[in-house]
Amino acid sequence: MISHLFKLIWNKKKQNFLLITEMFVSFLVMFAVFTMIVRAYNNYRHPLGFEYDDVWVASYMTPENIQSDDSAALFQDVLRKQLQSFPQVVEAGFSGHNFPFAMTMSNSMVSSDQNEGVMTNFYNADDNYLKVLNAKMLSGRWFSKADDVSKSPVVVINRKLQEELFEGKNAIGKYIEYGGDRLKVIGVMENMKDKGTYTPVENGLFKRIDAGAAKWTSNILIKVKPGADAVFEGKLFKALSNTIGTSVEIEHMDKKLTRQNKLSLIPMIIMLVVGGFLIINVALGLFGVLWYNINKRRSEIGLRRAVGASGNSVSKQLVGESLVLSTLALLIGLFFAIQFPLLKVFDLPASVYLVAIALSVAFIYILVFLCALYPGRQAAAIYPAVALHEE
Amino acid sequence: MLKNYFKIAIAVLKRRKFFTFISLFGISFTLTILIVATAFIDNATSDNYPEVNRDRSLYITSVQEKGLKNHSQMNSPASFYYLDRYVSTLKTPVKVAISSFYAVTNAYINNKRLAINLKYTNDEFWDVFQYKFIEGKPYTLQQINNGEHVAVISEDTKRDYFGDLPTVVGKYIEADNVQYRVAGVVKSVPVTMPLSYADLYVPYTVSKTDYRQKTLMGNYTAVMMAATKADVPKMKEEYAAIVAKIKPDDKEYDEFISIADTYVASFIRNSPLGSSDESGISKLVMAASIFLLFFMLLPTLNLVNINISRIMERSSEIGVRKAFGASSSTLVGQFIVENLILTFLGCIIGIIISFIILQLMNNTNMIANMHLTINGTVLLYSMAACIIFGLISGVYPAWRMSRLQVVTALKSQ
Repeated sequence: MISHLFKLIWNKKKQNFLLITEMFVSFLVMFAVFTMIVRAYNNYRHPLGFEYDDVWVASYMTPENIQSDDSAALFQDVLRKQLQSFPQVVEAGFSGHNFPFAMTMSNSMVSSDQNEGVMTNFYNADDNYLKVLNAKMLSGRWFSKADDVSKSPVVVINRKLQEELFEGKNAIGKYIEYGGDRLKVIGVMENMKDKGTYTPVENGLFKRIDAGAAKWTSNILIKVKPGADAVFEGKLFKALSNTIGTSVEIEHMDKKLTRQNKLSLIPMIIMLVVGGFLIINVALGLFGVLWYNINKRRSEIGLRRAVGASGNSVSKQLVGESLVLSTLALLIGLFFAIQFPLLKVFDLPASVYLVAIALSVAFIYILVFLCALYPGRQAAAIYPAVALHEE
Repeated sequence: MLKNYFKIAIAVLKRRKFFTFISLFGISFTLTILIVATAFIDNATSDNYPEVNRDRSLYITSVQEKGLKNHSQMNSPASFYYLDRYVSTLKTPVKVAISSFYAVTNAYINNKRLAINLKYTNDEFWDVFQYKFIEGKPYTLQQINNGEHVAVISEDTKRDYFGDLPTVVGKYIEADNVQYRVAGVVKSVPVTMPLSYADLYVPYTVSKTDYRQKTLMGNYTAVMMAATKADVPKMKEEYAAIVAKIKPDDKEYDEFISIADTYVASFIRNSPLGSSDESGISKLVMAASIFLLFFMLLPTLNLVNINISRIMERSSEIGVRKAFGASSSTLVGQFIVENLILTFLGCIIGIIISFIILQLMNNTNMIANMHLTINGTVLLYSMAACIIFGLISGVYPAWRMSRLQVVTALKSQ
């Protein structure tokens, strides 16, 4: 049956060539759209890993009179104490520029005894960071005052980095190589999706803000009590401005998350709208062309009916032909699409591509099936006497 | 003869309304997306308010220090000291606007928070960028040198901070914990123009960081304006000559690089596409063309498919015309003209739809203060796209049709 359909198509390869090209291009478009959606959905499923409600971020420029490491550390202590003196402030912790939902990124290569050259985000965090964000530790502990006297620099890594760098084995007490330094892992924390709801979980390595790093950290994460309002924020702003002396900005993390999510959603919405209209366009076109082709073959269909084919088998043949046609197009499309997971283009997990391929194959089949259904039904309704009489 | 073609085309369009609808839908939709996209690009790149002098200006948005030993490099906006000392003293530019990148700070009014984007500028900033003053006037060189706390605010800030007051010049606005006296109010600028956008413009002398610090890197940008467009290349050379003499601050680096670019190039050079050797515009144009090609491929294929069906439907007409001696080229010409008429119809519908969409975007203020329009250039480009569209989708079906044998064409009836 299928080989027969194939022969029918081959006989009209010139006419069918354009149809196949059109289906092939639509497959590629759908593949791109589905890859984006599957990726976003995959990311969306992971929990955020921390709490951002009632967390504010105060960013400032380090005043120029603070030059030495000690004075910078002292300055941070002063700010921390001042913040904690407000009854509405639950906790305050310092962070580098790449605090959650910030635009800034900072990453570097690290290696361990098991693995070389793994890219990871580098975060600077102080002892209170974990409590402010209410993130979870999996094993080991977060930084504390005791680390002031530790011989080698201490770090906390997230679960994903433990999986990639230590092949999932317990990393506590092991060392990470970073540009000549040996960093001691003292804790493993749950993954934090700190770039937004629709972005992937990334490797993370947290360094403790020591006296040397204090000069370069000028962001304070502040957890406030629920219900802290703009009046309090104004008061806080004034107090911080007076202490710091340079420009200060206070932002709310929930607003920052909304903005980050918009950044991931807007391109997706544009893609969906454009892809959707392209597909409507293609569907209408396919429908028209199939309908026309079937109408042109009235005499052939009439003949088949006359020698005893049922209406059902005629419409089955026509729908089947369209599906074989789309299979040819999909085979070419698959050849190109499969290169993406094979060549690891765009650094996405292979599963995303495979799911996207499956979805787009199903989508094209359904689309072609629906477009061929009505013309097929029409063909089935042809009366042999009328069709043959026309000849 | 064209009149005849036109009549035939309209008759054919009326015959199979469903096919006509598909064709028109495809054309007009594709065109709508193209027009809206071009309107955005046009808005971002042409000389819009207040940057009306872009064609005779060069932008210095970054300086770079490069180390040859370990291929290290550092990019940053320039310092005020650098721009004031090396750029303001150039001979070709008639005016040099120096301003900081806008920084967000807060203002609190009526127990509400207001995010204020603050920009420090010099006095020539107000000459290079032609802001429309709704009231008051810019601060003067005298005021800047005295370090007076005066400010020019945007119309949006006036509305958000002062409410419905008719005039606010002379009143005080408190932002970033500092009181500024309002000197003028300007029409707001969309955020898509980072060099001229801000809510609050104040003299650089009142900046909280020390603008006199003798480093090369900082947070400032400069726009040099030449007397005429013809002086721009000369200005670029003069700047390059001065840059070649400057040594990096840091001993780790060997080379100091900074390039004065046109507005568009200054952005693309700082993107991953550009580098200090080439601005990256050609790469961007290439990427955009490839995308455009792919985007137009699907509707074109669709149109070709439909056109083939429609033309083959008229095989009897073609047979008769051929039998009476019409040459293939006449027939091809006729069908291409017919197809162009169809695409032009789609084009007009597309322009109407995009006009409605752009109006909607403007009215809902999707991007604050951005006013998208369909201007002459955009229209011209879309017309060109239309003609290409019509030709490509018409040529192949017409060619296939013209090769029909008279006998087969007549017999298939």
